[in-house]
Amino acid sequence: MGEKIMVKGTEAIGEAAIRAGCKVYFGYPITPQSELTEYMSRRMPQEGRVFLQAESEVATVNMMYGASSVGVRVMTSTSSPGFSLMQEGISYMANARLPAVFVDVVRGGPGLGDIQPSQGDYFQVVKGGGHGDYRLPVYSPSSLQEAVELTIHAFDVADKYRTPVVIFADGMLGQMMEPVEFPDPVDPSTLPSKDDWALTGARGRKARYVTSFDIDPYKLEQMNLVLQETYKKIEAEEKKWEEFMTDDAEIIFVAHGTVGRIVKSTVKMAREKGIKAGLFRPISLYPFPYERLAELAEKVDIVMTVEMSAGQMLEDVKLAVMGRAETPFYGRLAGVIPTPAEILEAMMKEIRR
Amino acid sequence: MEKKNMAFVGMFGSGKTEIAMNMALKLAKDGESVALADLDYVSPYFRSRDKKGLLEEFGVKVVVPPGKYIWADTPIIPPEVFGILSNKSIKAILDVGGEEDGIAVLGYLRAFMKNTAIYFVINTRRPFTNTVEGIVKFYEKLKNRARVDFDFLVSNTNLGPDTTEEVIKEGEEIVEEASKILNIPVAFTAVPAFLKDCDCRFDKFIIERYMELQW
Repeated sequence: MGEKIMVKGTEAIGEAAIRAGCKVYFGYPITPQSELTEYMSRRMPQEGRVFLQAESEVATVNMMYGASSVGVRVMTSTSSPGFSLMQEGISYMANARLPAVFVDVVRGGPGLGDIQPSQGDYFQVVKGGGHGDYRLPVYSPSSLQEAVELTIHAFDVADKYRTPVVIFADGMLGQMMEPVEFPDPVDPSTLPSKDDWALTGARGRKARYVTSFDIDPYKLEQMNLVLQETYKKIEAEEKKWEEFMTDDAEIIFVAHGTVGRIVKSTVKMAREKGIKAGLFRPISLYPFPYERLAELAEKVDIVMTVEMSAGQMLEDVKLAVMGRAETPFYGRLAGVIPTPAEILEAMMKEIRR
Repeated sequence: MEKKNMAFVGMFGSGKTEIAMNMALKLAKDGESVALADLDYVSPYFRSRDKKGLLEEFGVKVVVPPGKYIWADTPIIPPEVFGILSNKSIKAILDVGGEEDGIAVLGYLRAFMKNTAIYFVINTRRPFTNTVEGIVKFYEKLKNRARVDFDFLVSNTNLGPDTTEEVIKEGEEIVEEASKILNIPVAFTAVPAFLKDCDCRFDKFIIERYMELQW
């Protein structure tokens, strides 16, 4: 680890990608993540790597496909409307089994929306915004140090399972500043070899294809089954979450990202009032940590979800809780950030109900 | 003659907004007639307009884009800016957006800037200005883009809540070195209130961090 520096979330993710050995960055500016693109435009040339501003997000994702096909670590970052534009390409990459890291710094929507922070892309990012049977590992950091760690982890997961991975950062996480420490850059020679599938030149061996296509439905089904096997492994091995004061909790909040951080304050406020609240914070949104949340739900009457959306992660919470407890919801929309106090008030209403 | 207005410029996240707000509040408490113009049209969040209520409570006139356009990241320059820069009875403080794109506004205001001292704010624990070479490089870049000369450097090296006296001193050393090369004086060192007894080589300006998240 080096010395501590003060960074914005966008810079934390960009620098972490560089430390993780990201060789190529493609991007197109969009608020509230343009600083990430700008950061990479300065830093990548310093490292002798590639920064390229594409003409659109559609072009970006197809450049990602190309670069990943030859086996290099590749990343892009965007915000909600830009992420929508990338969906077709992401679906292609999923079936072509191409590792890559996507960063969605989520802003208020739908449509053009606004430039304030939101978590309204949950369905799109976590459930698959493109076509076909695919899933993407998704990580939602709630501090900048965690954003650094998860960005590096995202590259490893992408390579390990040969899949695109998403960092889900709401606008607040992208824009806030915190002191962080970066780990030393990875030694590229220690990264897993991609020689068994990447397009490295066919001299002396049979030519390969990196494609999401097979005209023969039985063969395409086989490709699909490989994906489904991969997702099973991911679900078995890659769940991540944090628990805060859940040991003796009588009411459990579920919140991710920035809201997870806000709800920590609510938990402390509730405890000052003598109410034993706790927080379950999913870090991997896919795979969602259903089993652990189900265990916790056994012991409480209320599992309350808080999001900067109309209740999207709520559906996963309900799938975990399966009627073991009440599952009320509190959310703010369109870029409005809930305060710890208003969440506490919403909780009090549920307790009195 | 001392210039009546102050403009704070620098890189993204160097602390321009915190220092501009603290300066406006200090001058207002000293009984000055002071106006703060938020000219940051590049950052979507953490702008002095977010603290308009607090500033007004202490008698600071706050100049921001009209109505709902405070939420925009579009280059809106409120016309009152020309008024507060020219009005001899008001001390104007300009909170300028970061980097080359943010500072371009000063070129536009150039004809009205004669009575404004420009402060280049530096945090040496930020990317790109962590070395003397980095500071000199971006100082020149921003100055060329602004098309006006700068008057002072400000040493604002910090790690937010993790700031220590050592961090501040290490920053002062780098900023002093840069000031020699650039031949421009250091106006002051910003020091968070929780380190107010810190020993500084430049004048000390004690600040509160109004933009810090409460959760």
